[in-house]
Amino acid sequence: MTILVPTKATGATAKTAEMTYVEPDRQVTDDELAAALPDAGLNMAFVADFLSAALTHERCGRHLYRSVAARTNNPVLKRRYEDFGEETERHAEILEELIAGMGGNPSYVSPAARGVEGADTKLVESTSLLGGSLDVMTREMVMLQAVFLAESLDHAHWQTLAKLAERLPDGDLRDRWVRAVGEVGPEEGEHLEWARAAMEKMVMLQAESSAMAAVGAKAEELVEKVRSWFA
Amino acid sequence: MVNNLNPGDQSPLETTIGYEQVAVDLTAWLARSEPDPALKQALDFALLEDFDHLYRYANLYELIDGRDAAELTDSLTEIMPGRPTMVEHRHPYDDVRPHYDTHTVDPLSRLHVMTIVAAEQQTMNYYLNHSAEFMEPVARDLYVEISHIEEQHVTHYESLLDPLDSWFKQLVFHKYNEAYLYWSMLQQEAEPRLKRIWELHLDMEIGQLHAACDLLRRYEGVEPEEILPPELPEVPLTFETNKDYVRSVLAEQIDLRADGTEYVPVGELPEDHRYFAFQDVVNDGGAPSELVVDENRAASGREFRDEVEGPHPVAGLRA
Repeated sequence: MTILVPTKATGATAKTAEMTYVEPDRQVTDDELAAALPDAGLNMAFVADFLSAALTHERCGRHLYRSVAARTNNPVLKRRYEDFGEETERHAEILEELIAGMGGNPSYVSPAARGVEGADTKLVESTSLLGGSLDVMTREMVMLQAVFLAESLDHAHWQTLAKLAERLPDGDLRDRWVRAVGEVGPEEGEHLEWARAAMEKMVMLQAESSAMAAVGAKAEELVEKVRSWFA
Repeated sequence: MVNNLNPGDQSPLETTIGYEQVAVDLTAWLARSEPDPALKQALDFALLEDFDHLYRYANLYELIDGRDAAELTDSLTEIMPGRPTMVEHRHPYDDVRPHYDTHTVDPLSRLHVMTIVAAEQQTMNYYLNHSAEFMEPVARDLYVEISHIEEQHVTHYESLLDPLDSWFKQLVFHKYNEAYLYWSMLQQEAEPRLKRIWELHLDMEIGQLHAACDLLRRYEGVEPEEILPPELPEVPLTFETNKDYVRSVLAEQIDLRADGTEYVPVGELPEDHRYFAFQDVVNDGGAPSELVVDENRAASGREFRDEVEGPHPVAGLRA
């Protein structure tokens, strides 16, 4: 089963930093990270950190999809969020397998992963903490924008992983890496393009509808309007 | 409800002495139970400071009320100097600690840190709010002086928390902590009336934990099981005497000061360290925490102590 939040119980490890303390038996160093991975002619400690960040983003993406699927009023969006959420969880699982297969720890949380998690946390918060100042339709747009932003970074991660794969020497590691990129890359492309197109369509729907501009429209009417989008 | 369990005829100073006894025995127990050595050190460091506060307030109690603080502590906690309050004042740069990493931290450590932050904040607020209820200048000044140290403690402990945790995760951890504390009190309590209160509050906190989990689930898509351990700690937080432990920390760590994020013996600080400049400014004109003992000595013929386990482990702090 995919780990969505590394904890001490799942074997989480981390590097110390100036203001970050890690319990001694959970600390890892760059030398230890590199030593655990195959010598692929790359800075493997950095590669480990990057893989951790990419994996963290997938995990956060799974959480984001769960959250927006639970809160959207539009059945088409809900279905997409649920489907993409399941695919995202599978992407996390693929990365876990890739990391573990290399000799790494899928529960290692790199400083880069912390940075990604910090940004992703604020991204998902942005879809709810401002709820009191947003109308029903704007909330839908904010959630969809969050998905688009998340998928943008996700897509970039997998494109970069594809580039890294090209630098690997021939062998089992490269083969597994190429297989992973081959399976996930097209789906990430689909996610990103869908999010972009959905945002565009949502803007056009609202821009072309005079009813949307009516001040004082009841919340129930707005929810019904949102439900009818993309139908 | 909990605060109103205090008797109506208990004075603010008696409440204060109770708070410092709690601080000492809570901090000591947490330190003894803490699996993480750095967090244990953070607890040990502040333990000796709260221990000294108890001594200063006990002297104030004898000075202005003519009463014996050991009747309040029941001699379960010794009363004698710790790291002297006047040397506890430090530059703000020396109050902030490296925070734990939320992914690797032991769930028990997280509970410990959250508990001690709450306790220190309670004492800080209490001293700030009640200093004006005294007529005697030494009392008012002592409360203000110690409230400054408690603020340092709040910063010291709160900085241990990982800022990466989201608002809703913090809420879930907070409610879990409250459930743990009420469950702990329920295990220890012998008085049936109080036991029923702890049980009622535990039920409430569990309900609130469920509500917090629902918020986490809905707004962040995180299942609570992903971040919470499957069970409460085996051992409840326990209030018991910690005299031997306190004495051992006194003997080993009395001279420690903070230097940035590190703890170093005062003798290893360079002469131009900001600590000394800060001390000169804050203690200019004298320290209320020293004055209260001097005044009590002059009035009572002695400084108040309740040393039940023998002479002070630090020779220089013996009466």
